[in-house]
Amino acid sequence: MEEEFMAEEKKREKAKYTRRDFVRGGGTILAGGTFAAYVSDTALAAASDQPAEKQTYARSSAYLVYDSRRCSGCQSCMLACSLVHEGEANLSLSRIQVSRAVLASYPYDIQISVCRQCPDPLCVKNCPTGACHVSEANGNVRMIDAEKCIGCQACIKACPYHPHRTVWNPATKKSSKCDLCANAPYFNKKGGASGSQACVSVCPMGALKLVKGLPPQADISGYDVDLEPPPSEVPTDGEPKAKFEITGS
Amino acid sequence: MATPGFAGKILLVNLTTKQISALDSAKYEAYGGGHGTATAVFWDLCVAPGGWDLRDAFDPRNIVAFMTGPLAGTGVAFTARTSVSGLAPQTWPVNWFGHSNFGGNFAPMLKFAGWDGVVVQGKSDSPVYIDIIDDKVTIEDAKSLWGLNVWETQEEIWKRESIKAPVRYGSEWQKLGDRYTTQRPAIVTIGPAGENKSRIAALIHGGGSGAGQGGFGGVFGSKNLKAIAVVGTGGIKVFDPRGVLEAREWFEAEFPMSGQRGPGRDLKPGVSCCMGCNRGCHSRIQIRGVDSDSCTEMIWANLPSPPYKRTSTSDMWKATDLVQKLGLNASDLCFMGAASFTSLPGTEIGSICPANTGAGWYIKKLYDMGVIGPGKKVDTYPLPMDQYEDIEFAEILALSIAQRIGIGDLLADGIVRFAEKIGRIGDLNNILRLPAWGYMDHWTMPTVEWAYGNLVDSRDINNHDMQLGPTKLMPCEKYVQLLASSSPPYSDDPFMFDYSWQGEQAYKTGIYSDHKAKFVAWHQHYATYYKESALFCDWAMGNYFNPSNPDGKGATPIAEPRFLNAVTGRGQSFVDGIETGRRAWNMKRAIFVLQGRTREIEKFAGYMYRRGASMANFGTMLPVYDGSNWEWANCRELYLDEEGVEHWKTAFYKTEGWDAETGYPKRKTLEDLGMKHVADVLEANNKLGSA
Repeated sequence: MEEEFMAEEKKREKAKYTRRDFVRGGGTILAGGTFAAYVSDTALAAASDQPAEKQTYARSSAYLVYDSRRCSGCQSCMLACSLVHEGEANLSLSRIQVSRAVLASYPYDIQISVCRQCPDPLCVKNCPTGACHVSEANGNVRMIDAEKCIGCQACIKACPYHPHRTVWNPATKKSSKCDLCANAPYFNKKGGASGSQACVSVCPMGALKLVKGLPPQADISGYDVDLEPPPSEVPTDGEPKAKFEITGS
Repeated sequence: MATPGFAGKILLVNLTTKQISALDSAKYEAYGGGHGTATAVFWDLCVAPGGWDLRDAFDPRNIVAFMTGPLAGTGVAFTARTSVSGLAPQTWPVNWFGHSNFGGNFAPMLKFAGWDGVVVQGKSDSPVYIDIIDDKVTIEDAKSLWGLNVWETQEEIWKRESIKAPVRYGSEWQKLGDRYTTQRPAIVTIGPAGENKSRIAALIHGGGSGAGQGGFGGVFGSKNLKAIAVVGTGGIKVFDPRGVLEAREWFEAEFPMSGQRGPGRDLKPGVSCCMGCNRGCHSRIQIRGVDSDSCTEMIWANLPSPPYKRTSTSDMWKATDLVQKLGLNASDLCFMGAASFTSLPGTEIGSICPANTGAGWYIKKLYDMGVIGPGKKVDTYPLPMDQYEDIEFAEILALSIAQRIGIGDLLADGIVRFAEKIGRIGDLNNILRLPAWGYMDHWTMPTVEWAYGNLVDSRDINNHDMQLGPTKLMPCEKYVQLLASSSPPYSDDPFMFDYSWQGEQAYKTGIYSDHKAKFVAWHQHYATYYKESALFCDWAMGNYFNPSNPDGKGATPIAEPRFLNAVTGRGQSFVDGIETGRRAWNMKRAIFVLQGRTREIEKFAGYMYRRGASMANFGTMLPVYDGSNWEWANCRELYLDEEGVEHWKTAFYKTEGWDAETGYPKRKTLEDLGMKHVADVLEANNKLGSA
């Protein structure tokens, strides 16, 4: 039952991404690895309820990718994320979300949700105060400045992914999101796009990795990569996974 | 404000009155959390009120306490365990106060919900489950869940909770009040075995995390309690977030070979971990059953080969999943256990000695002896004895026990009660290897601290730390000095690790000596606090020796306080933890004494005093001191001498500050530990040790 549900979820995710992102996204080239997609400005303008004006954003210099088959479901990444950012262990405040359905069959038992540092960041685009911004000082990572956040949740509503990658903190009434640990006050290392990330550091499986090239943007699988070939005893579901390749940005 | 690492309150649910209330965790902090705190809560709720003899685990006045430790869910690895405590129906002949624990994510989730534990009292008049969503706690109807297996129950509860909620759990941010989560509720539940009040019924969480020992699944059944579900959206404060992650990295760098993991055993895709852990003991893919932790539940149905055919991997999966779904303690069902050995010649067990003489092995032995079977006083119905080698036999055995059908009804009360009921309790003298209190032999001998621990505790202590020694990897004298250095405050006594078992040396420095008494006391204090209260997983800690270091130095006694202090900020020393364990251990001793424990009844099963008591081919190379030199010696012939054990008991009771004649704790011992109230109750019951 859970297995079917998770499979449905992934289909739903793909469908939603395709519809919403292509409808609401800007006219940027979505490219990476072996896949590239282009949506014309005209087509977007016709379909979108957003202004047709073209706005481009500098790409993030790094991206967090994951291997959902390699993950052990320990959620150490979530605990580490909340520890370094919030100073407490808190699954609900983690900017990476790992959801387990332990009774579902592999690989449908684990769903990982990371911020994609979108080329066309709807969270940034929809933020009315500039709190959610592309940080030039931090390798163009998409970050939220808590000082400027007014708690309107526009970034949460704008995120086209399920679950949304922007995270609501009910105590501070502000949003947060993955900053690749650029602003992690309780982290004992230098974070950010050119530094370390708590989730990557703590993962016992090597199931998280920071890469420089923009991963494929076609659907949610673009960030779910084979970081190492699975051993022969690991069954596959017959669906090929995207192989990660350094593509440059 | 609660101490960092603790949520600050313990949930108390009375199923008789339906009252839901909270206890202040701070009141119990001196007991360390986990089993220590549960012991003190048991004292307050079950002992202090008086009025009953504390001997029946199925009495509604018994509690079942789920307690977390201060480290669960904080990012410290191998600590996400939930302790379970209460009177344990499996222990024989008395349902001693006992404990078990299980991994997974239940403990962290309970703390995220704001609770250090949940304690269940009373008995519902109809099936229920307890639903905890942060501080919102309800007692829900479970009539339609009764009869479902463990996995079906969890699926059904997830479905129910999702129906009540805005979106389905686990797929999207779920709004709970003003908070959100993407997590499914963590559930601990029973299957048919627990519902039928089997004394070997386990509590199962997730696919295969389970608390088997004690039979607490039967306690759930006696209370008409099917499950506890919890989802938490809050956080756990820690004293030093940087310190937590630094300690974690330091441990991985310095002690990579502790526990289940190390070079050659690097984690491969397909393993699964408890929350925050990095050991990878469980499985995502079915290489050993769904989410099984690769222990007894995986191999309980394996047959000794030869003489029987080798059990196939697919049959192992079937057997693994079956006991998880039925909620049975696999240890009591074993056909062989982890391994079988060629027996010492001349012993009654036969030519093959299984590691566990569980139901699968014992009934075949009795059948072959002509004791049980069709037409006999005890029929083997519904077991197809002519299909003993087929997995279907194991399946029918497990199902008949869980459903109490035929011979399964007798076996459902545990193997020792089965032997007693059919008039075969004398088998404990030779073929039925249950060292103490009806629990299965494990790796009990020749590592005698395991055996002694079983005797003075109330279960198979199941502490693998000493049993995983390095044998001949280094000179024997260096090894015992290394172990001593890991055992503060007794770091000056390497004779604690002498396994001399014959002649005068056994009494001077060996297994009947003051030194061994001191080590067993330390080992119990260590386990009571660090393993059962702070809830470091037995698969990782203690770590007294580590082959990844050139000098062999293990993580104990440095790692435990480093992790604890990073989380709690209390600045406690390793020995402070030992003392906390000693406090809870002494309170537990007082409970045992009130239940009827005396020196006289602390005796091993007869086979332990006879040749063949030790595992003949496993873990038998041990340090032995001959009066002038240390040598590695094969102790496969080791068995206990009754007089020697009595000598050891005297030394042990004195070490603990207990009356050597009765085994009762003395007032001074209890008062020095801040437990005058315990001494007063013992005195009122004429069970206080003489000064």
